[in-house]
Amino acid sequence: MRKLFMLVALLLVVAGVACTAAPTPAPTAAPPTKAPAAPAFRVGLVTDVGKIDDKSFNQSTWEGVQKASKEIPGVTEIKYIETTDPKDYDKNIAQFADAKYDVIVTVGFALTDATYAAAKKYPSTKFVGIDQFLSKDKDHPDWPLSNLVGVTFDEDKAGYLAGALAAQLSKTGTIGAVLGTDVVPPVWRFGEGYRAGAKAINPNINIVVVYHSDVGFDKTFTDPEWGKTTALSQIDKKADVVFGAGGKTGNGALLGAAEKKVFCIGVDTDQYLTVPEAKGCLVSSAMKLLTPSTFNMIKAAKDGAFKGGLYTGPVGLAPYHDLDAQVPAAVKTKIQELDKGLQDGTIKTNVAPAKP
Amino acid sequence: MAQSSESPFARRALNLVRLGFNELTVPVLAVVTALVVGGLVMLVAGGDPLLAYLGLWEGAFGDAKAISETFVWATPYIFAGLAVALAFKGGLFNIGAEGQLAMGAVVAAWIGYALPGVLKIELPAFIHIPLAVLGGAFAGGIWGAIPGWLKAKTGAHEVINTIMMNYIILLIASFLLNGPMKDPNPLNVIARTPSIAESARVPRLLPDLRVHWGFVFALGVVVLVWWLLYKTTVGFEIRTVGTNPNAGQYAGMNVAWITVLTMGLSGALAGLAGTIEVTALNYRHELSFSLGYGFDAITVALLGKTHPVGVALAAILMGAMRNGATRMQFLTQVPVDIVSVIQSLILLFVAADVIVRFLFRIRTPKQGDAMMTRGWS
Repeated sequence: MRKLFMLVALLLVVAGVACTAAPTPAPTAAPPTKAPAAPAFRVGLVTDVGKIDDKSFNQSTWEGVQKASKEIPGVTEIKYIETTDPKDYDKNIAQFADAKYDVIVTVGFALTDATYAAAKKYPSTKFVGIDQFLSKDKDHPDWPLSNLVGVTFDEDKAGYLAGALAAQLSKTGTIGAVLGTDVVPPVWRFGEGYRAGAKAINPNINIVVVYHSDVGFDKTFTDPEWGKTTALSQIDKKADVVFGAGGKTGNGALLGAAEKKVFCIGVDTDQYLTVPEAKGCLVSSAMKLLTPSTFNMIKAAKDGAFKGGLYTGPVGLAPYHDLDAQVPAAVKTKIQELDKGLQDGTIKTNVAPAKP
Repeated sequence: MAQSSESPFARRALNLVRLGFNELTVPVLAVVTALVVGGLVMLVAGGDPLLAYLGLWEGAFGDAKAISETFVWATPYIFAGLAVALAFKGGLFNIGAEGQLAMGAVVAAWIGYALPGVLKIELPAFIHIPLAVLGGAFAGGIWGAIPGWLKAKTGAHEVINTIMMNYIILLIASFLLNGPMKDPNPLNVIARTPSIAESARVPRLLPDLRVHWGFVFALGVVVLVWWLLYKTTVGFEIRTVGTNPNAGQYAGMNVAWITVLTMGLSGALAGLAGTIEVTALNYRHELSFSLGYGFDAITVALLGKTHPVGVALAAILMGAMRNGATRMQFLTQVPVDIVSVIQSLILLFVAADVIVRFLFRIRTPKQGDAMMTRGWS
């Protein structure tokens, strides 16, 4: 007991010393002054509310930044700040901007306005807004800005590939999709792209697409139980491929498919890595390629080729991983063809940007 | 020199200081212990606690902007903390601050954008701002008074009912912000209202900083609540009913009415937390804006020993830690979660003050503290 007291007392003394000693190194702490001959090139990342290792958007984007620091010579320093509250967006961006970082990457739709405001306030800093669609409107009167790129994705194309893959793998002629709310345009584009892709392979295929639009925003992406039961009921109706798209709700659908041992397809990032429980059924994922998009933007900034405006980042299917042997070579070739056609514009998905 | 020569006033002042010191000992030591344990956690996790705390300090009080942001963060904590503290004074445990706050935010946002935008009623700022603020407070008050009334009328425990009321309003708010009140901008995918009109926006104190008059208002409300509790008959009745409702009844107080009133006032204060965030900071109601102010408020109220001034100090401390976390992570890349760990530790050490008293060998006060809440009867 006494020892415990002594320990705490000791720690208090240490803490006290720390507090009094603290102010002195303050001014030198901020700018890293170990300057090599080349000028410093620093990249900062601000997450959306969430963690850096969320195995989703924040993490994939951060991996792009890490890749840039490894592969682009001259990128001297990378750092991130995890946002805990939406009201801190501006402040967190300002941490990097005030420290004169060269590129600031912000992750997620919710930071659109904060990133736009910061780009106006700090014209010499380059901003990359991941998954941020901007247009000249009341809230963004000066768009486009020369130092801001909004990175968007053609989710319908990714969904199209997933649908095409599902239609080719299905033996029963019925495929399913379990999605978050169709009010969110990217989710809608994933779902309708899936439908279009499947129809392109087999016009008579039976497609069951269910959106979780019956609940609020706080629930629609975080309802794995609903996702799982919905997937199970689709499988009961003979669906033998299930596409799960919509945060944890979609992940629940993947688990349902894994339980019934039918194929499943994930979304956004390679879910083989993010939902290991679904490894046995996960044939691929309809991915927004955040990592290369981020990397490309940083590279452009470093090379002086940074152009303000919208940038459509690449999409694609994730590797087949464990189920590679179960995907016939003809199917793989067909997917490659479609991917190429979507990229060069010879194939159109004909999906509206948002639910009409 | 001699004690007898001291004026009664000086003696009273001295007593007050001594009392304040005694009252402060446990909370301050709780915070210090939490910081030390938090530092140990950082050490174990491979971080540098000294640099981290330096960052926390810089981020919270390092310059004018940092202080401004700390006050911005502290504002909802002050209101919500006062709400929980006032209920404690009345012997009631209000876990519904989160819901009352949401209620206030919904109504304030509606008054802010819909009066001019939908109903085409243009108001000058000196009417529109008070209308939005008081409307939000009133709505929060109603939401608090309902569980109070249920308690007074049927004896249903307010802990259960305030929690249930949280679910009701949070789901209603979710419906409204995704439906009738949703920002109609076609690009908007977030559950949020349109921006409130300029005439409903509480102005900032200084042009370049975000600290707003809402913070000053919060400090004013601190004084108001103190005055209400300790200088008015109603306040005396609230405290009496809180300590011993039977005694209150015997003394001729209307216990049922005081219970409803206490919960109503508590709800109004919590409603102000949401209202001020809408009218002075975000200029709209966005569903995710409150990450549990209503629950953190319980920590604030307990750390402040349910005294209004203590609540204000505790709120500024909590705001400072939340605000400084960004700078801390920027400097050291220590995860911001450590702040939540420290906050939880503070709550632990304050609520179970036996630990702190044991660690630092502090005697328990002889006279029993006033009861926080009554039991389940």
